[in-house]
Amino acid sequence: MASKASLKGKGKAGKGSKASEEGSSAAKCVKEWSTWAMKKAKVITHYGFIPLIIVIGMNSEPKPQLYQLLSPV
Amino acid sequence: MGSSVSHAAAPPPPPPSPSPSPSSVGLAAALPRKQDEKAEPEKVDWLNLPCPIPFEEIQREALMSLKPELFEGLRFDFTKGLNQRFSLSHSVFMGSMEVPSQASDTLKVPTAHYEFGANFLDPKLMLVGRVLTDGRLNARVKSDLTDNLTMKMNAQLTNEPHFSQGMFNFDYKGTDFRSQLQIGNNAFYGGNYIQSVSPHLSLGTEIFWLGHQRKSGIGFAARYNTDNMVATGQVASTGIVALSYVQKVSEKVSLASDFMYNHLTQDVTSSFGYDYILRQCRLRGRIDSNGAFAAFLEERLNMGVNFILSAEVDHRKKDYKFGFGMTVGE
Repeated sequence: MASKASLKGKGKAGKGSKASEEGSSAAKCVKEWSTWAMKKAKVITHYGFIPLIIVIGMNSEPKPQLYQLLSPV
Repeated sequence: MGSSVSHAAAPPPPPPSPSPSPSSVGLAAALPRKQDEKAEPEKVDWLNLPCPIPFEEIQREALMSLKPELFEGLRFDFTKGLNQRFSLSHSVFMGSMEVPSQASDTLKVPTAHYEFGANFLDPKLMLVGRVLTDGRLNARVKSDLTDNLTMKMNAQLTNEPHFSQGMFNFDYKGTDFRSQLQIGNNAFYGGNYIQSVSPHLSLGTEIFWLGHQRKSGIGFAARYNTDNMVATGQVASTGIVALSYVQKVSEKVSLASDFMYNHLTQDVTSSFGYDYILRQCRLRGRIDSNGAFAAFLEERLNMGVNFILSAEVDHRKKDYKFGFGMTVGE
């Protein structure tokens, strides 16, 4: 339905539509890549944020010992 | 700790200088000389006004007094410091949480969760992360890029798709103004600006735009404070008018009141509360125009050990919430 109508439109417009199609596909490419990047960033943040804080904290001065991470004292 | 240091980096208000300020400004110019002996009104240095409070904290005294974190059930928080800047926190909660529902009464869902958190607080960088047993992560990052520019990031990530939220804030602090730019997910863009107009009065404005719902709004705020009182007012194009007034009656006691009117839902709420900050405890109580009253007590049992009691009673909705808990560590 919608795809047939768009094919008809493409046939009629000819060269003009090709140029705009390339422009819109570049924008689509950028959008797809940025969505992919945001999804990966979300997963990385979800799993890596707390370990990152722990690594930064264990390396700050004065360096705490490893057992202090787990013991309640 | 670390975060308070970066707040202290704001320039302190300068004493009123005897240097020639623009004429007919200070009261001392208008009054005859004799009255100078009694109570000399301070000359206002209009070129050196203090830096205003950040826009989102404009009602912070009223919020601190009137909206404590009431809860129902058992709450236990343990914070263990490994370092001056690095600490881990463990928190257990067993009780009911309110879930807002479409019907007029809210749903209470019994929940129990354990939350693990790590904090790194440096004067220039603050990292706070909290993860719950169901996989939700609350992350906050605050970094001072330069003396005047701060970047903040706030995110709540969940395992369910499309429920995560994130927001970036860029704050710029000038000598007597602050401005902020916000970028959030769902194409949310917002900005606000607040300016000191006199040593006691600051005016601000905010504007936001929601991309996906094509909604935008603008709001204005004003804050007048002296040493003993704070009065704020906020008006927004979303139809909300919010006023608040906090009076510090003595070193230990302050009284606060708050009024909110929503034009679209024709909803009016007003509340009045007190805040007692005593040596061993902090007691906050409030009563609402909906007939609900609440109280929150934090009692210091020992160094670093706090006992918490929370109560909220609403006879009209037949909603009674009582909670107790302990907080160990700073």
